[in-house]
Amino acid sequence: MLRLRATFKKTGRAKYISHLDLNRCMLRIFRRSKLPVWYTEGFNPHPYYSFALALSLGFESECEIMDFNITDDNMPLSVIKDRLNEVMPEGMGIVDIAPQKNKITVIAKAEYEFDLKTDDVDGIFEAVEKLLAADEILIEKKTKKGIKTVDLKPDTEIVSLEKADALVKIAMRLPAGTKTNYNPTLFTEALKKSCEIPFEMVNIRRTGILCENNEKFS
Amino acid sequence: MNLKEKIEKHLMDVQKPSRYIGGEVGSIVKDKNSVDVSFAFCFPDTYDIGMSHIGMKILYSLKNARENFRCERCFAPDVDFEKIMRENDIPLYSLESLEPIKDFDFIGFTMQYELSYTNVLNMLDLAGIPIFAKDRTEELTQIVVAGGPCVCNPEPLADFFDIFILGEGEEVNLELMDLFNEMKKQGANRLEFLRKAVQIEGIYVPQFYNFEYKTDGTIEKMTVSENAPEKITKRIIKDFDNVFYPENFVVPFTEIVHDRVSVEVLRGCIRGCRFCQAGFIYRPFREKSPDTIYEETKCLCENTGYDEVSLASLSTSDHSQIDEMLTKLIDYTAGERINLSLPSLRVDNFTEELLEKIKKVRKSGLTFAAEGGTQRLRDVINKNVTEEEIMSTCKIAFEGGYSSVKLYFMMGLPTETDEDIIGITDLAQRILDLYYSIENRPKGRSPQISVSCATFVPKPFTPFQFEPQDTRAEIERKQKLLLDSVKSKKIKVSYHDPDVSQLEAVLAKGDRRLCDVVYTAWKMGCKFDSWSEHFKFDVWLEAFEKCGVDPAYYANRRAEYDEILPWDHLDYMVSKEFFIRENKTAHNAVTTPHCRQKCSGCGVNKAVGRECFC
Repeated sequence: MLRLRATFKKTGRAKYISHLDLNRCMLRIFRRSKLPVWYTEGFNPHPYYSFALALSLGFESECEIMDFNITDDNMPLSVIKDRLNEVMPEGMGIVDIAPQKNKITVIAKAEYEFDLKTDDVDGIFEAVEKLLAADEILIEKKTKKGIKTVDLKPDTEIVSLEKADALVKIAMRLPAGTKTNYNPTLFTEALKKSCEIPFEMVNIRRTGILCENNEKFS
Repeated sequence: MNLKEKIEKHLMDVQKPSRYIGGEVGSIVKDKNSVDVSFAFCFPDTYDIGMSHIGMKILYSLKNARENFRCERCFAPDVDFEKIMRENDIPLYSLESLEPIKDFDFIGFTMQYELSYTNVLNMLDLAGIPIFAKDRTEELTQIVVAGGPCVCNPEPLADFFDIFILGEGEEVNLELMDLFNEMKKQGANRLEFLRKAVQIEGIYVPQFYNFEYKTDGTIEKMTVSENAPEKITKRIIKDFDNVFYPENFVVPFTEIVHDRVSVEVLRGCIRGCRFCQAGFIYRPFREKSPDTIYEETKCLCENTGYDEVSLASLSTSDHSQIDEMLTKLIDYTAGERINLSLPSLRVDNFTEELLEKIKKVRKSGLTFAAEGGTQRLRDVINKNVTEEEIMSTCKIAFEGGYSSVKLYFMMGLPTETDEDIIGITDLAQRILDLYYSIENRPKGRSPQISVSCATFVPKPFTPFQFEPQDTRAEIERKQKLLLDSVKSKKIKVSYHDPDVSQLEAVLAKGDRRLCDVVYTAWKMGCKFDSWSEHFKFDVWLEAFEKCGVDPAYYANRRAEYDEILPWDHLDYMVSKEFFIRENKTAHNAVTTPHCRQKCSGCGVNKAVGRECFC
């Protein structure tokens, strides 16, 4: 049996597919592909596949990760990739397929890029810098156990911050995986609280799923 | 900002945004410059409901299969998104190209239930298309059409539509679009097109027909202009086994009401239950061969990736080759790990072997549409189900491990007495007693008999089209009587809101004078009337009042046999004489055999020009 890890993209109109709907969507993709995908052996057998991280509704990504198994050991990976791509919805596609290397628990961070759309680029740019320079970035986060206040400061790694036409462009790394998951909207919520200048968070993309040492998870 | 950007700007603020952006697998996007005629297929309810509709799937694929035609989908936005659309000048748009509906040549609605009428007006308004047909441009564009079961009496909608398409749409839709293409090239205007269109069989152009009324409110006469035919006959597909069926469905991202492959196995019904409109307007009975059904099932499952398939028909057990069909299907679906759901299946006359197979795939509960509480009443409505049949099937089911049964009834049926109402409870009680009398019944489980009671709505093109509906007070009295007669906690009773049923009756049997009421009700805020959380009966009553129209006249009045009914100029192939005969037979509590046993002379065979069964 081939234990495989696919990197797939979810862009354009496909960004409006919720995680729950993505599950159902993927089931139908596998069925349409007619690939010899491995089924679970329970009372209600279904094709086995598992997503490394959930992607928030409205986010785009070209680095999503899904594990699945193929029962035919001799099937070339390129064939599997092509057959899946043939039956994917608009905006979705397999970027790469490789054997599973690391355990899912190795995932520690994710990298995001997004733009803050505003009429006052300088003002927002300064507000972001000021927020990043603060001792702590406190924000309320909804968890399964209720609302709790978290400090984003120690875990937020800024990759880049720049001004563009009516935009402030930000790239940042945040904790992701089995332990802690921070969504970049937490950061912009904190920004909204810290400044009065109106802005809109647009073009949100996940650009990397990473290990602790910032290496790409594979 | 283009329309797509405008939509996307707000999509994250609404529930289930994938309903508003298209891009689903199976959706067909064509270059608008490469086609001659465009058709916006509009469903007057939300995506979740409309995407489940099999007729839309058929006509969508059919039109798009023609190289020079383009068909795109459109649904009513839910209230949250509608608010955003209105605030941000987002016009109603199609899901494939995200193109404004007002730019389409045809805007077509499918009218599936009366309580969706206000949604049509709301959608036209959101699209920026004049609500009334008379206010639309003289140019040849924005032709607003409707089809579906409700257009068998489209009069309450007559002022809003340019064209009604009667009967089955597979041929006539293409003929209409071809004519449009031809006339557009000739530079014709709207009126010239409508004059030609009305000559196509099945096409009804309401503005060419005029009604005059007597002082008592009934119709005095109907006059026809523009050389339009006096009678408009519905269309049917003669060779049903070879009729177009989609090879693919649009597969939604979000979960919809019927989220599965649906294969039509037969059209029409042989039964002739006297309250059932579908049982008459879809005649004659025609079926697909087991091979066709199998091929269509396989093809659709493979192309969509669905792992569930359901058979669509009015009564699947009436298929003449049901054994062969099911054996073939079950062998395929079991091998592919596909769930086969078999709604409304009578299991009485199956072979042991097939019964075993069905048991394996069947997960749904046990349901009986008994409709009437006593044999006398069941004879009146021609529902040929006997108590012995119900009891023997329940016995088999209980012995096989079932412990709950669902029973459907109607209340307010013609000739109904209190005895018939109490008969509902008595029947439920006898089923419960039967359960306890069975030695090997399921152990450790409490039985449950669910009684669901709808209110009878008289419908056009049925033997009960002449009948009055019970008044609200009478229905409420009967509902209380039913509740009070229940003695066991194991019998659960539920029933419909009588206000909804009354409005349904008014709109089903109404004439053109109701157009103003529908318009006024919508203007006053009525929409999504079939959703209990949006239904505003008090506003509807106010609208009736304002327009000087009495709803009781339409719902609670018995029509005379010789009266001109608002739908008499529409020919659904079953004759009015037959309905009168059946109405009289019903009042004598005498049944009529089903079509395979004996032809009852409804008139369909004359219209089609051949015997239905030989």
